[in-house]
Amino acid sequence: MGLRTRRLLDRAFAAAGLFAVGLMAVVLLLVLGPIFARGAGAYVFRGTIEHRRFLLEQFGRGDAARVAAETAAAAAARAPAFALLSRFEETRDDLPPARRRELLADFREVRKGVSELLGPAPGAPALLPRNAYGQTRWDRARVKLDRVLRRQTWDYSGGVGRPVHTPREELYAGTALAPLFPLLRDGIEAMLLPRTTFYAGFLTDRSLDAHFFGGIGPEVLGTVWLTLGAMLLAVPFGVIAAIYFQEYTREGRVVLFLRSCVSTLAGVPSIVFGLFGLAFFINTLHVSPGKSVLAGALTLALLVLPTVIRASEEAIRAVPQAYKEAALALGAGRWHTVLTVILPAALPGILTGIVISMGRAAGETAPIIFTAAVSVGAAPGLLELFDRSTPALPWNIYNIATEHAAADEIRHVQYGMVATLVAIVLALNLAAIVLRARVARKLRG
Amino acid sequence: MAGLRQLVLTAAERRRRRTLAAAGRGLLFGVTAVAAVAVLLIIVFIARDALPFFRLRGFAEFFTTSGWYPSREPAQFGALAIFAGSALVTAGAALVAVPLGVAAATCLSDVLPFGVRQVVKPVIEILAAIPSVAFGFFALIVLAPWFQAHGAATGTNALNAAIILGIMALPTVVSVSEDALQAAGRELREGSYALGATRAETMLRVVLPAASSGIWAAALLGIMRALGETMVVLMASGNAAQIPHPWYDLTQPVRTLTATIASDMGEAEHVTGAERYAVLFAMGLCLLLFSFACNLLGERIVARERRRLRGA
Repeated sequence: MGLRTRRLLDRAFAAAGLFAVGLMAVVLLLVLGPIFARGAGAYVFRGTIEHRRFLLEQFGRGDAARVAAETAAAAAARAPAFALLSRFEETRDDLPPARRRELLADFREVRKGVSELLGPAPGAPALLPRNAYGQTRWDRARVKLDRVLRRQTWDYSGGVGRPVHTPREELYAGTALAPLFPLLRDGIEAMLLPRTTFYAGFLTDRSLDAHFFGGIGPEVLGTVWLTLGAMLLAVPFGVIAAIYFQEYTREGRVVLFLRSCVSTLAGVPSIVFGLFGLAFFINTLHVSPGKSVLAGALTLALLVLPTVIRASEEAIRAVPQAYKEAALALGAGRWHTVLTVILPAALPGILTGIVISMGRAAGETAPIIFTAAVSVGAAPGLLELFDRSTPALPWNIYNIATEHAAADEIRHVQYGMVATLVAIVLALNLAAIVLRARVARKLRG
Repeated sequence: MAGLRQLVLTAAERRRRRTLAAAGRGLLFGVTAVAAVAVLLIIVFIARDALPFFRLRGFAEFFTTSGWYPSREPAQFGALAIFAGSALVTAGAALVAVPLGVAAATCLSDVLPFGVRQVVKPVIEILAAIPSVAFGFFALIVLAPWFQAHGAATGTNALNAAIILGIMALPTVVSVSEDALQAAGRELREGSYALGATRAETMLRVVLPAASSGIWAAALLGIMRALGETMVVLMASGNAAQIPHPWYDLTQPVRTLTATIASDMGEAEHVTGAERYAVLFAMGLCLLLFSFACNLLGERIVARERRRLRGA
C-alpha cells in the first residue's frame, strides 16, 4: 500500500471517529432542543384573560380588581358574538328547509367551538372546568379560532384522506350568523386580551380536569417522594456494602460471588424490577394494600443500589493509601479509621454517585408502573407515603402523551412535564459533574 | 493519666473486642449480602409467578406460535412475534450503537486532545442521564411524525424504536469500550508506532484486537440496555404483535416483551394467578434469564482476558 493511501486511510479513520462524537453531540441537541424550547412554553406564554380568571377563581392568585375589570371589558367585546349566535338560533326556522338541514349540524359545531374559545355564553351552565373557561393560551386560542372560522371536511377521492377547508363566512352567507366570523377574526384580541405571562405556578399547582388547566405540582411532588425514599433506602446499604468490599475483605470466593450479584442486579431490566416489586413487596410482603410510594421507593432502591455501591467503592478507592496508613500508625482501629478518615475523605465522591443515582431514580418509569404510579389524583402527604399511590412525572408523561383523550390539545403540558423532568435530572447530573471536578482538583492537591 | 487508653488489654477485654469486631464484620457482610439476596429473591419471585403459566399452557404455544390474544375467549398466548419484535428492535439498536460507539471510543481515547475529551465526556454522561421516558416522548412526538411525513406507513415502528434505543445504548458502549481501549496500554501503541504504522493501522490491527474482549463486553452491555428498555419501545414501536413481512422490514410496527409487560399488566393486575397475569411474568423470566446469560458471558470474557493478559 502506498504511503499516500495509508495517510488517506488514517485521515478517514480519524474522521469516522470525529463523526461519531459529533453525531452524539448533535443528537443531544436534537433531543434536548425541542424539549426545552417547547417545554419553556408551559411556563412562559401569551396568556389570555381566561388564564388570569382561572388562576384567581381556582387558586386565589392575581389582582382581583384588575381581573374583574378585564373580564368586564372582554365580556363587552364578546357580547355581540354571543348575540349573533342566539339571533341565528331564533331565526333558523326562517331558512329554506334544504339550507337549514345543511347548516344545523354545522351550527352545533360552531357553537361548541365558540364556547371552547371564549368560555360559556353568559348564563350557560358549566359542569367541567373545561367548559367553564375559554382558551387560556393564545396559541391554543388561535388554533380554536381557525376551527371556528373554517369548516374542515375530508376528501377521500385520492385514497388517502386530505383535509378540505371551507370558510364558514361563505357557508353562512346571507344568514344571521355571517357577521360572526369577521367579528371573531378581527376582535379576538379584545375578547381574550392576551398578554405575555410567566406561569411559575405550573411547577407547583395541581391540575384541573385531567391537565387541561393548572400545573404539574402533584407529579413533581410524587417524583420527589419516590426519589428521596429510594435514596434513603439505597444509600446506607450501598455505602456500607462499598466499605465492606473495599476495607474489610480480600478478594475471595464469597466476595467474588457478591460482586457478581451486584453486577447481575445492575443488569436486570427495569421492567423486571417492576414485576418483582409487585410480586414481592405488594403481593407477598404486603407492605401496602396496593400501589404505594413505599413499594415504589423500595423497588427503585434496589434498582439504584448497584450504582450507589460502585460509585462509593470508586470514591473510597480514590482516597490516598497514605491517609489510611497514617491513621493506623496513630493507633486508630480499623473501624475508627473508616469512620473518621476514609469516609470523610471519600464523601464528595460518594455524594457524586448518590446525586447521579438520584437522577436515575427520578427518571425511571418502568419500575413504578405496577408499584407506585397512578395517572390522576393528588400527591400523598408525609403520613400517607406508606399506603397511598402517587402521580409521578415519568409515568404521567407517558400517560398524558399516549392515553389522554385529548393528547393533542395539551401538548404544552406534555412538553412542560418532560422539560421539567429532564431539567431536574440534568441539574442533578451537572451538580455531580461539578462536584467531581472539585474532588479531582482537591485530590491533585 | 486520665484519658490515656490502656495499652495492655486483659484477656476478657481482648475477647470482648474481638467479638465486637467479628459482630461488626458480620453486620457489614449481612448488609452487603442484601444485593445477593435481592438477586435471589428476584429470580424466585419472578419464577414463582411465571410457573403457573407454563404449568397450565405448556411451552409449545408460548414459544412457537404467534397468536397473541390474551383477552379473547379462548385466549391465545403465542409470544413468538413478541420475541421476534424484541430481537428485531434490539438488533437494530445494536447496529446503530456498536459501530458508532466503538468509533467514538477510539476517537475519544486516541484521537482527540485531552482538553476536548474533557468536554465530550460530560456530553456522553448527559446523554446517558436523560430519562428513557423523555426519549420515548421525543420518538413519539417528534420522530414519528417525521417518519410519517417521509413515506413510512406508520411513524411508530421498529426503525423508530431501534434508532432511539441505539442512541440510548451509545453512552454505555462508548464508556465501556473506551475503558477497554485505555486498558490496552501505551506499550502496544508505542511499539506499533515505532514499527511505522499509522494511527489507523495501530488502532485497527493492534489496539482493537488487544481490547476485543472489552469491546465485546461493551456490545453485550449495550444490547442488554436496549433489550431491557421499556418506555421507548412502548411509545415508539407501534405495539403490533406481528412478525414483519419480510422479516427485515423495520418500517413496520412491532411489539416487544418489555412493552407487552408494561401495557398488559394494567388489565391483568387484579387477577393474580390467572394466566394473563402469569404470562407476563413468564416474559419477565425470559428477559431476566437472558440478561443473566449476557452478564455471565460478559464476566467470562473479561475474566478470560484477564487470565490471558496475566499469562502473557
